[in-house]
Amino acid sequence: MRAKPKLAVYWTGGCGGCDVSFLELGPSLLDVLSRVEIVFWPALVDTKRADLESLPPRSIAVTLVNGTLRTEENVEMVHLLREKSELLVAFGACAHLGGVPGLANLASREEILRQVTGDGFQPAPPPGGDAADAPPELLPQARPLSAEVAVDYVVPGCPPMPSLIGPFFDALLSGDLPAPGHVFAQDQALCKECPRTREDRKLTRVVRPHEIVPEPTQCLLDQGMVCLGPVTRGGCGAACPKAAMPCTGCVGPTPEAGDPALAMIAALGSLVRAGDEGPAAFEAEDKILNALVDPLGTFYKYSLPAYVRARRAR
Amino acid sequence: MAEAFEPKIVAFLCRWCAGAGADLAGTSRLHYPPNAIPIRVNCSGRVDMEWVVEAFRSGADGVLIGGCHPGDCHYVSGNYKTRRRVYLLRKVLSEMGIEPERVRLEWVSATEGAKFARVMREFVAELKGLGPLHLEAAERPAEPIAARERV
Repeated sequence: MRAKPKLAVYWTGGCGGCDVSFLELGPSLLDVLSRVEIVFWPALVDTKRADLESLPPRSIAVTLVNGTLRTEENVEMVHLLREKSELLVAFGACAHLGGVPGLANLASREEILRQVTGDGFQPAPPPGGDAADAPPELLPQARPLSAEVAVDYVVPGCPPMPSLIGPFFDALLSGDLPAPGHVFAQDQALCKECPRTREDRKLTRVVRPHEIVPEPTQCLLDQGMVCLGPVTRGGCGAACPKAAMPCTGCVGPTPEAGDPALAMIAALGSLVRAGDEGPAAFEAEDKILNALVDPLGTFYKYSLPAYVRARRAR
Repeated sequence: MAEAFEPKIVAFLCRWCAGAGADLAGTSRLHYPPNAIPIRVNCSGRVDMEWVVEAFRSGADGVLIGGCHPGDCHYVSGNYKTRRRVYLLRKVLSEMGIEPERVRLEWVSATEGAKFARVMREFVAELKGLGPLHLEAAERPAEPIAARERV
């Protein structure tokens, strides 16, 4: 009998949701777990960095990393994991594109520390500890996994849904893996799998989710909600629009859309109307667009570090 | 001594109005600063906001989009679409910490050579006030390891 493939799961700057997301596989998780050997998974088994260091290079069949890169320790760990792994997978939106914590790139590291800990804070070792025991330094910015190490595959989502995790494990355990760089989601837009009916209405208003109870069968964008479906990969089964919430783009943009903010600007620019077009409508059109509070945070909710290089402390 | 800052501008000009206006400025021998690289497009509505950002990442300090006056668009409404897109893009840029004035949308008709020259003078002066942009591209992802050997 062949030895079971060795599996490692690691978290960097994440929330833990990705580690929990495996449970959503349900009973098939038992099958997956019976067919792999877990060698390292801080959320699940008691293994230490020294255990990882003692492994021969590329002895781990696959390592799933979730979380954004936020500290110097994160960077050390992903290099170590890369060295020890045959395949390295960005698991979840943070590792894929920077994720929600990546929105912090709009502020400098110093500003973030000041906001959280007050003025004059310096990371220090615990009382009685030596310098090596101090918490790791924050990186100047949050970074996606691929900014630091080569990534073989992406299982996207916040957190990844069973409909995306399942096909990844199927491919891994059957040995029938796609070409490197594959993202385990659809290349086509979420709208293709959304059950709502799109009539391509012109938008006469932009609303936030708490402002309306949307009609249950009509396209949310048609109803004025800023739904990122048109620029986001399918694969989740349009879970949010089915639950009357607009897509926020966690699976990442389609290859065709590219930069999700610029693609949504193009879409909204075409759709917004305040009566007949012309100079008399300009002010009213701007007012409709102003209802979109924080367009940058809306369009890049999960992907700011992948598309925008933070450029100055504000 | 440091050289005086000369802003670099990419100007997307529609062929029917603003591009013709720029030509008229030239054939009329009007003087205006030579800071812009003009790119003629069929319609201001064809200007993808991706191009604007790409211009910034490629070293531009400002981007001018020149289209037809309201009501004059050869394709009826391309200039209106671009106006709304530029409005949103400027909001996103300012959230990023980039001065929204670096993207300028102007209506220039084919007879307005003088207006084109004035817009260029104004824009160059404004960008000199703002200083260089230096927008870096986002992190370049590491390449997947191709053709990994399987043991």
